[in-house]
Amino acid sequence: MKNKIITILILLSLLIPVTIFAITGEEIIRKADEIQVFETSEASGEFRIKDRFGEKVSTFNSWSRGTEESLIEFTSRAERGQKVLRTEDELYLFFPDAEELIRMQGSMLRQSMLGSDVSYEDMTGGKDRISQYDVVLEGEENVNGNECYVLIMTAKVRTVPYPKEKVWIDKETFLVWKAEYFTKSGRLLKEMETLEVEEIDGRMIAVETRISDKMKTDTETIMIISDLKINIAIDDEMFSLEELSW
Amino acid sequence: MKFLISLAFKNLTRYKRRTLITAGAIAFGLMMYIFIDSLLLGLEIESVRNLKWYETASARVLNEDYWENRFQRPLDINIPDPDSIISKLDKNGIKATKRIEFSGDLILNSFDFGEDGNMSVIVTAIDPKKDFDVFNFDSTIQQGRFPEEDEDAVVMGSWLAEDIGAELGYWITIVTRGNGGFYEAMDMEIVGIVNCPNPNVNRTLIMMPIAVADEYLAMEGASTEVNIKLPESADIDAEVIRIQNLLNEDNLTVMSWKSMAADYLAIAEAKRGGTSMILFLVFLIAAVGISNTMLMAIFERIRELGMMRSLGMSDKKIRIAFMFEAAGIGLIGSIMGVILGIVINFWIVNYGINYGDVYRDMDIGYRVQAIIRGAWNFKTMGIAFFAGIFISTLVAFFPTKRALKMDIPSCLRHQ
Repeated sequence: MKNKIITILILLSLLIPVTIFAITGEEIIRKADEIQVFETSEASGEFRIKDRFGEKVSTFNSWSRGTEESLIEFTSRAERGQKVLRTEDELYLFFPDAEELIRMQGSMLRQSMLGSDVSYEDMTGGKDRISQYDVVLEGEENVNGNECYVLIMTAKVRTVPYPKEKVWIDKETFLVWKAEYFTKSGRLLKEMETLEVEEIDGRMIAVETRISDKMKTDTETIMIISDLKINIAIDDEMFSLEELSW
Repeated sequence: MKFLISLAFKNLTRYKRRTLITAGAIAFGLMMYIFIDSLLLGLEIESVRNLKWYETASARVLNEDYWENRFQRPLDINIPDPDSIISKLDKNGIKATKRIEFSGDLILNSFDFGEDGNMSVIVTAIDPKKDFDVFNFDSTIQQGRFPEEDEDAVVMGSWLAEDIGAELGYWITIVTRGNGGFYEAMDMEIVGIVNCPNPNVNRTLIMMPIAVADEYLAMEGASTEVNIKLPESADIDAEVIRIQNLLNEDNLTVMSWKSMAADYLAIAEAKRGGTSMILFLVFLIAAVGISNTMLMAIFERIRELGMMRSLGMSDKKIRIAFMFEAAGIGLIGSIMGVILGIVINFWIVNYGINYGDVYRDMDIGYRVQAIIRGAWNFKTMGIAFFAGIFISTLVAFFPTKRALKMDIPSCLRHQ
């Protein structure tokens, strides 16, 4: 009897690492989201938008505060002075030539930003993914030498653009190395890959990512972030409408 | 007076060749006026008809918030139960059909099209059972057929098909957003090509069955619009109010084709100004032609006029005789002009002018494709008839007056 109890205890102790230290899909997503959020940040960067007609480069400066507020100001010649402000509930565009402020809402958010493979909606996305998706940890895979969790996210609601996402998240750093976005009927629509990372403040941050539209040929958008500074002092007025049109 | 009329008539018959040539010139001018008026009126009538037959229907039921957002073609601002509306309208003898209109990216693959490509498109999902009761697409099929109710297939406008090199049996992919905003991709076979007389539609049309769109876009029976056909003679504005009262639903609005095509009508109104100017110029050319012919006719008869005066005929009687003669020429010219106008109008109304592919890639605003047909306008013919007589008489007055101011020897020596 005593031996039986010892045997059972040993067997149970073998299960401890699995049950106590096992990580769920939701936790992985939460951690992946957390490493991308800073109290404040400032960066400059560029979009390289390629299509069958060639490549276009748009440069920008950006500022963010928490998960909800961000401002992008384009500095390249063609778009100089154009601004995109994201506040808690809204997204605004400012066009300096027309001195026009546009509140993006509804289906306007689905428009492509500067003709890239990124929509304005993609910029507002990422909020509360756990409540919008069922997350299943499908397994583990190696992506470019990085051990990753492979997660399948299936939308619970119709209001998200991608009904299904497959995400590869680094097991150690929780950086998203790769993501695939699918339509409702399961067609691969877009793919995101992290090309370059940088360690900032103890976190691995993607500083070069490539998004390609898999339905179209010869199109991709590469986003490069340079001079990323985090947790710096930013004026409260930075994310106001008054500042946007100033 | 009887003598003067008789004299004028004798003069007309005495100089048959001159009378015919002068009347012929008047007739040509009037015929051109009738022809141009018919063409411009026909263009406008056919344009409005094609607008209603292929674009707007007579009226449309929409979610009250849809119209202001129509350029985004939102699927979430919809009519949740269009079938109940159609049934209600049907009970009142009004033909109606539901449609879903959405925008998307058309993806072309190299396997069928020779090279990969994509373009923005607007897709119209129709109810194949009811759509032809309201719109007139059934007679426009050029190749193939319309899709079955539950078939993943589309029909395409012939100009769009030409532009992208599409043929029957080719497959296209439409990437769009469903109701709520999710991405969806649909693979569709091209089973039909329509040649729609409305160039705006023919240039962009992609049609698919509404049941298939409903499934892909998660519409759950909702539609973005219910289109209504009303008799041509109906008072559209009154009917719209009647239908609005009939439906009696808070979040729905009924719009007449005139409200939906307000932009077109504004352009048409502006064009009407230009049309009037063209007609005025044509009228002016005809009037100048008539005047010139009459002037020549009077001036070459100054010696005859001098003879009449030397024989003792009073100036007043001479003037009246000449004006009767001019009116007679005008009458003959007007009769000939209207007859010629009717003949040419018959041809232009029934056969029209095919200006082919000249305006193929040009949006001239009018919803008319290659063949411009005329229209009967009896008012214009009446105006032309009386104007021919009036102008001829009027222009005879001045040279006669001038000739009568000359002394008799000068008149007799006039070359």
